[in-house]
Amino acid sequence: MNSEDDLFYNDDDSAHEMDDDDDDFVEMGIEPEPTSTNEKTDVEVFLYEVLTTEQIVQHMVDCIKEVNTVVQIPATTTRILLNHFKWDKEKLMDCYYDGDQEKLFLEAHVISPFKKTPNAKKRTTRATSAAVAASVQQEVTCEICYLALPATLMTGLECGHKFCIQCWTEYLTTKIMDEGMGQVGTISCAAHNCDILVDDATVMKLVKDPKVKLKYQHLITNSFVECNRLLRWCPMPDCGHVVKVQFFDSKPVSCNCGHIFCFACGENWHDPVRCMWLKRWIKKCDDDSETSNWIAANTKECPKCHSTIEKDGGCNHMVCKKCRFDFCWVCLGPWEPHGSSWYNCNRYDEDEAKKARDSQEKSRSALQRYLFYCNRYMNHMQSLKFESKLYASIRLKMEEMQQHNMSWIEVQFLKKAVDVLCQCRQTLMYTYVFAFYLRKNNQSIIFEENQKDLENSTEHLSEYLERDITSDMLVDIKQKVQDKYRYCESRRKVLLDHVHEGYERELWDYLDSA
Amino acid sequence: MANIATARIKREFKEVVKSEEVAKCNIKLELKNDSFTELRGEIAGPPDTPYEGGNFILDIQIPATYPFNPPVVKFVTKIWHPNISSVTGAVCLDILKDQWWVTSVFDYICLSFQALLAAPEPDDPQDAVVANQYKESKDEFKNTARHWTYAYAGRPTASAEYDSKVEQLKNMGFDEHKARVALSTKHWIVEQAMEHILS
Ligand SMILES: [Zn+2]
Ligand SMILES: [Zn+2]
Ligand SMILES: [Zn+2]
Ligand SMILES: [Zn+2]
Repeated sequence: MNSEDDLFYNDDDSAHEMDDDDDDFVEMGIEPEPTSTNEKTDVEVFLYEVLTTEQIVQHMVDCIKEVNTVVQIPATTTRILLNHFKWDKEKLMDCYYDGDQEKLFLEAHVISPFKKTPNAKKRTTRATSAAVAASVQQEVTCEICYLALPATLMTGLECGHKFCIQCWTEYLTTKIMDEGMGQVGTISCAAHNCDILVDDATVMKLVKDPKVKLKYQHLITNSFVECNRLLRWCPMPDCGHVVKVQFFDSKPVSCNCGHIFCFACGENWHDPVRCMWLKRWIKKCDDDSETSNWIAANTKECPKCHSTIEKDGGCNHMVCKKCRFDFCWVCLGPWEPHGSSWYNCNRYDEDEAKKARDSQEKSRSALQRYLFYCNRYMNHMQSLKFESKLYASIRLKMEEMQQHNMSWIEVQFLKKAVDVLCQCRQTLMYTYVFAFYLRKNNQSIIFEENQKDLENSTEHLSEYLERDITSDMLVDIKQKVQDKYRYCESRRKVLLDHVHEGYERELWDYLDSA
Repeated sequence: MANIATARIKREFKEVVKSEEVAKCNIKLELKNDSFTELRGEIAGPPDTPYEGGNFILDIQIPATYPFNPPVVKFVTKIWHPNISSVTGAVCLDILKDQWWVTSVFDYICLSFQALLAAPEPDDPQDAVVANQYKESKDEFKNTARHWTYAYAGRPTASAEYDSKVEQLKNMGFDEHKARVALSTKHWIVEQAMEHILS
């Protein structure tokens, strides 16, 4: 995979430097894709490439160069302008040629490259005296360190503010290392209230420490990647790779580090549920407000001793277990004046009370529904975490079989079986998110049947791999395992195909209230 | 301490001392040690404010990365002001945070502090009790701030009413500062202040 990438990039550098993105992809299409075996069928139709940080810097530089062949301005001015337009080349071109260029430069906080001298004079404020002194005595006081230094040691931007090189280096280093670069990855001139931005070449020239340089490169590409719909950082911590796609879509991509994720949302690959619903689900799970809502709806404090009391039945006559106080659940008053007939709370409007009771019931049944799906979702997630243990025990089994005259190739079916098991669990996990938001109709009943079949076949495979395998004769195992995982694969395919078909034909209705 | 920081402080200190603008605004600056890591600032309360006639001491800590990072400044003199903690003297000022510029100098900092004394920003408070009082009763705030200026910052004249109330609690055996804080918090009602101290 690496040699392919190198070849691709060398080729790109030497011959197609100015080629646009589409050409890159045609070429990628000819080469075999770097894929993980797990999701091969999904990946084949969706072309993408995995880039290193260095490659993404190069990619950004190429993008800037491309604009610069048309717009003849300094490269860093282009980066700042492209940043300003969230890396939309066309929009930049349109505004550049149709609109007021001076206004554009001003809005992007960059000095117009066409108006250097007059602007510099006008913008110079505190630096004026220093500049004048420079021409007379050749020695200037740096406004940061207050040292009198030869004018040759002073430097600055088009705005005319000059500081000594050492101070510039310190200033830029502080900004880069202390997250002082803001969202778009820019640093402004060190002078008070001067909003002219320091260009990349100047930063790279003035910063000497390679660690600081690298961080700067990462920060400037970060905005490039985040603004570009066709790029996404691998979500694994400290991975640093970027996935580049041909068109934005919710599809699985496999990073060089081995992590497989949804390109559109960055979550683990989550077929059959769509990004939007998964996002809602994750938020719901994170909020954890469900449990506290239930507590709010179903428990109250005893008005006398303040211990927490849970309502366990329909009767509103409550007796505190701790202090034996009799009170009304609805009005929290003493029970005595309420009389003996069922629900006769005279301090509460009958309808109001009914409404309150109904909403309590509703919130309880909504919670139970959520817990039903959540338990099954969590259960598969938990099981997936045990996969490494199963892989280890299966590896032992594979070694044992090899000692019984089976070849390495011949025993690979066992690893394949665990791969399939994990895929099925992941799919099942997300089917419960899909189902949670699904409104019941004829198709949803078929979906639930498919889900049940996949559950059963997956559990059979799991049980066999974990337990029964030890009791069988080695010769029988292969046939049994293959039968089981092939059946799982087919059930998984049936389920996914049905959901995908439903998406295409718009057969799914969703519950907005969920 | 870094070379740049030391060189800069030395020069800056020299310029502040001889600056006319600084003398005009009644700002003083002195070194607290030879290593230039700590300064003592003194600003006069601006005219037509409850702080008029008072002198406020500032504690200025210089980080090793100065001037690329801002100094840390707090009030040593106790002061009643929505943006300054009446307990710790901590100040929340943007020019010492995200609006810090490497070319900002001490006279600019001191002038900004004077400006803050002249124009509190109760919507971005550092001391919630003071800010509430400022919003609810401007007069009570002014009188209280004036009283604190008298008690801690050397203002000559005083409010006889507030003085006697502090004296009253003091005579009952309460600590003078605690009594003043309680009275300031509880609208200068002696009974409530007492309850506040005892709770
Ligand atoms: Zn300097
Ligand atoms: Zn400038
Ligand atoms: Zn990765
Ligand atoms: Zn997604």
